[in-house]
Amino acid sequence: MSATTGYFVSGSSWLHRRHPLTKLLAVAFILLAAFLLPPVVLPILAVAIVAAIWSAGLLRPALHAMRIPAFLLLSILIVNSLFFPGATDKLMSVGPLSVSREGLTFGLISAGRILLAFLASMTLLFTTLADDALEALIARGASHRIAFVVLSAVQMVPRMQARAGAILEAQQARGLSLEGSLLRRIRALVPLIGPVMLGSLVDVRERTFALEARGFGARPGRTAYRVVADPPIDRWLRLLLVVGCVAVVIVAISGVLR
Amino acid sequence: MTQEDGVIPLRIQDIGVRYPGRREPSLQAVSISVAAGERVGVAGRTGAGKSTLALAAAGFIPRVVRARLEGGVAIEGIDTAAAAPGELLGRVGIVFATPANQLSASKLSVREELAFGLENLAVPRSEMDPRIDATLARLAIGHLADREPFALSGGEQQRVAIASIVAMGTDVLVLDEPTAQLDPAGTTSVADLLDELARDGASILCVEHDPAVLGGMDRCLVLDRGRQVASGIPGAALVEAAEALDLTPPTLVLLAAAAGIDLAKAFDEEAIAAGLQARGGAAPSVVAAPPNTTRAALAWAPPRERAPVRVAVEDLVHRYPTGIEAVRGVSLSIEPGESVAILGQNGSGKTTLVKHLNGLLRPAEGRVLLDGAPTEGRSIADLAGTIGFVFQNPDEQLFERSVEREVAFGPRNLGIAACEISTLVANSLAAVGLTEERATNPYDLDLSRRKLVALAGVLAMNPAVLVLDEPTTGQDADGIAQVGLVIDAMRAAGRSVIAITHDMEFAASRFVRIVVMREGTIVADGPPATVFAPSNRELLASTGLTPPPAARIAARLRLGAVPLDAAGLLAALRS
Amino acid sequence: MNVDWLQVCAEGQTTPCVAPVQVAYLIALLVGVVLFALVARRSRDLTTGTLVLMGVAIAINIAVGSITVLLRLPIYLDSIGTVLVGALAGPWAGALTGILANLIWSILPIPGGGGPTIAFYAPVAGVIGLMAGFWASRGVFQFRADDARVGGFLSLAAGIVAAGLAFLVVQIVIGIPDISAADPATALDNQGRFVLIAIACVVIGAVVAWVTARTLFAFHSDDPRIRSYLVAATSIAAFAIVFALFRLLFSPKGYFSGVTGVKADGTPDGFLGSANLTSLALPDPVGLIAGLVLAGVVGYLVWTWARRGDNARLFPVWIGGATTGLIAAAISAPISAGVFGGVTGAGTDALVALFRTLGLGVFQSAFAQGLTSDPLDKTISYTVVFAILGALPITVRTMYSRGEATVAE
Repeated sequence: MSATTGYFVSGSSWLHRRHPLTKLLAVAFILLAAFLLPPVVLPILAVAIVAAIWSAGLLRPALHAMRIPAFLLLSILIVNSLFFPGATDKLMSVGPLSVSREGLTFGLISAGRILLAFLASMTLLFTTLADDALEALIARGASHRIAFVVLSAVQMVPRMQARAGAILEAQQARGLSLEGSLLRRIRALVPLIGPVMLGSLVDVRERTFALEARGFGARPGRTAYRVVADPPIDRWLRLLLVVGCVAVVIVAISGVLR
Repeated sequence: MTQEDGVIPLRIQDIGVRYPGRREPSLQAVSISVAAGERVGVAGRTGAGKSTLALAAAGFIPRVVRARLEGGVAIEGIDTAAAAPGELLGRVGIVFATPANQLSASKLSVREELAFGLENLAVPRSEMDPRIDATLARLAIGHLADREPFALSGGEQQRVAIASIVAMGTDVLVLDEPTAQLDPAGTTSVADLLDELARDGASILCVEHDPAVLGGMDRCLVLDRGRQVASGIPGAALVEAAEALDLTPPTLVLLAAAAGIDLAKAFDEEAIAAGLQARGGAAPSVVAAPPNTTRAALAWAPPRERAPVRVAVEDLVHRYPTGIEAVRGVSLSIEPGESVAILGQNGSGKTTLVKHLNGLLRPAEGRVLLDGAPTEGRSIADLAGTIGFVFQNPDEQLFERSVEREVAFGPRNLGIAACEISTLVANSLAAVGLTEERATNPYDLDLSRRKLVALAGVLAMNPAVLVLDEPTTGQDADGIAQVGLVIDAMRAAGRSVIAITHDMEFAASRFVRIVVMREGTIVADGPPATVFAPSNRELLASTGLTPPPAARIAARLRLGAVPLDAAGLLAALRS
Repeated sequence: MNVDWLQVCAEGQTTPCVAPVQVAYLIALLVGVVLFALVARRSRDLTTGTLVLMGVAIAINIAVGSITVLLRLPIYLDSIGTVLVGALAGPWAGALTGILANLIWSILPIPGGGGPTIAFYAPVAGVIGLMAGFWASRGVFQFRADDARVGGFLSLAAGIVAAGLAFLVVQIVIGIPDISAADPATALDNQGRFVLIAIACVVIGAVVAWVTARTLFAFHSDDPRIRSYLVAATSIAAFAIVFALFRLLFSPKGYFSGVTGVKADGTPDGFLGSANLTSLALPDPVGLIAGLVLAGVVGYLVWTWARRGDNARLFPVWIGGATTGLIAAAISAPISAGVFGGVTGAGTDALVALFRTLGLGVFQSAFAQGLTSDPLDKTISYTVVFAILGALPITVRTMYSRGEATVAE
């Protein structure tokens, strides 16, 4: 896992070999199903995703990544269990707080949906390079200019982090103290964050020139260097997924109107 | 891309440029042509219009940069002002100073980085790999093909940037100070690359400060305040400009003039040595004033008295979290009023060592003493009042909206009274010669003067010890001279100065003591004349260093003395 | 189909509600897709300089935003870059920046990254970019303290204050109807009355704004009143902001009353050094008076500060920020409530818990949290952008055609 390739885990599992669009559609299908269908489907979807992750040998990175949403999931469960509007069915009480059945149910369902959304997106990110995904989208008519913004922003973040470290040293060497009262620490943010932003904004000029010099401004059409493999089976999979998405939306709407 | 006979690849005819909102034009009546296979250098002071000339030559004015252009720039016969969008692509390219900004910042490998320009040119996929491979081979950077662009060194990034322009089939290359932010190894690699390209028939226009790179050019144009003041072979043009503008030419050019040899060989050390040998003691004593005397010494003294501080490092060891030892048992003692230059290759532990002085790093073993008292337990902010540390890159600290406020930041952190801060600020701005720019936004100054702002910001804290990290990188000759004057003035006031530098001439002329580091240990320590003596040549070579030019020529002449500048060499030659 | 505009049903919610939550998801999805498509169409007109700026702005959003998440502050500060691009390169570029920033943030492995969940707020970020572009083109970053056009902002502020006062008067005189009453029929009835009251208040505000714009705040250029009015407005705004912040943090049910040093699951909370800050919560009326006094002092200080130089020109910037925040809150509330049940794992969760203990429903507490955090957050963000624009060198500013038009010298 490097700063510039994000969560990508290099490998050649069956998930790695799928076309990025197929995987994007699969994530869309899972999101739609998780949020629009009744909560009964949540365990089924969860089993399916975990099986896919396991078969691709990605169980370890997936478990490792779980620390990211852990706090959010816990927060959802706890706040809802303890503070749920109009809850009547108390399961247990600790001091002034009590866990309600309604709150716990709601918390579990919300947390389950977030967890599914998270796992599905992570599986996509583990097995797909952003460059490949964007190249695939460009081939389908997406703007390569927006794709550039995405890729350059992704590479910019680690650069800024490195820069922030250097700035911290430079300002401390100029006598900036990071200890003391809260107010003092808040005031120390300006000389720390200021150069990060200004420095990168000043670079914009030179970077723009460098891109113009390499023909980014002119647009007589564009060819792509990166070749994204698209096996025949992916076409059928994509068709299947589109049908699935439409079906989920229809079921959801008919449920609402009923 | 072959060119027709008779069409000059780059022809700039009598151009003038005026930016919106400026009263004075930035360029006036400048003309130059660059033939195929020719390298033309552009030199001049800050604000001379060099960058404007580069932007105009690459066809960026008025297409990308909004400014009024008079006269004409023609690239391979196409007028840049009238060219259709995209018409100049693959004909002219430009590379600027900051290596990381020259890349597309969106590609994962050097190979894809080179493909970026080809994609925009809509080159068919099947042609891309052959063109990329050919370019990689031609510029001898095939070993970088699969590396991540961001993980490369500055010199490698600049070569990849040039390669990505060349891969587009570009024959006219404009460079705006391509080596300003590189170490000597990076500078040499870029200069060699330009030579190689010119041999292949490319036309090169290169704005440059470094005499070594300028010397390699076929011709040189000197600008001042937007006007052309000299042009011709580099040696002659620099001498001509020096007389007209009261500048000091590079040491080698001075020596070549003293030797009376053809200035076309002004950068050829062998020819200079032979010329001086022939003339012997008859060489004139002063050709042009040597650097130390052209400017009056800085009439500057720190506004506040403070007791001198003696810095000592005892058996210092620093380990990175990875377990690698960056500094392996260094002991060093620096007296008040001493100036010490620390030399060594990248990775020799220089910066790691000096970062211990103000507590940015803490020793794994050993200790740092200020006047005998260990720094252990004192915070960086506390030590900042004693040790002034100026970092290499000013952009990693500037944030205020005016130079004056920026310089006042340090003293304010130290809790100095407001009335005294204004004295300190005025005083240190005067020291670096930026009094007139006090209300300017620091980022509207060029890199050279931004570095001086950062220096002034530390001077205003009235430090007992001044630590400079690469004070000459990205500096023009005026800036280097100004930094030198500040160092002299600090010493005269009983303060000590420690500098990390790659600039041998600067180290030899401004410092009384040279410390050479290799692999985390000190391998040489003494006055410049001792460290740069011919007997030390192998030791220096093992650290990737070469003595300053005057000492090199003296070694060729087998003089016993070790002169550090042109005047010293000529004096040694006479005696 | 009876769509309850205020009380969207959450799954398993026991209080009465009418519309199933799925409608909210579909609407949010639809709005997001339409907005993205619109913005993407406009992106073809963006210059290379704008695209490079957007990349940097997205990184700024993510960097600063993740710091506030890590510190669990009750604000976000994740739209500084969006506002900056909106100001320099226009509303569409701003909107695209906001949307992309949220999408990218959700896929980056950085500490403080919320994971893929942040992507749900992309439509909100898009609207923030649009608003920033709109306000910049109205000149909020450009006015001098004696510009006749600031009259419009004073009227707008007067209108907002009038609407707020009217609402307060209604609350004191006849009381706000209980919109989450137990009986569905009563609740629906009360909601109807609440809508009427809200509309009436907005109308009163609009009338006040319209009238003052034509009378009190109709300035001709070089009018000496402009500066003094602006100075007064700035100090009153500072008074209001400080008082609101003070109440939010220190009131008996405020932010600090919830910081016990232990997380809800009983483990010690590392941030703030596991300190129990509940003692910082001040009881009424001591807290009320202390808040008023503090805000008064700050208001006076700001008054003396604003009289000097051009400092009072921050007022239009604050109006821009506050209105952007109000709209952002209105859009993000259904997303918070629908997707997360109002809990996002950030510092704002303390506020959500607070409002729920005050008896608000899932949606209302999410909206109340938004109304408390967003205007404050966007006001700060706009002020930061104002400072950045002032510090930006001319060479960069002149790269953008709007750079000169929307930024004061």
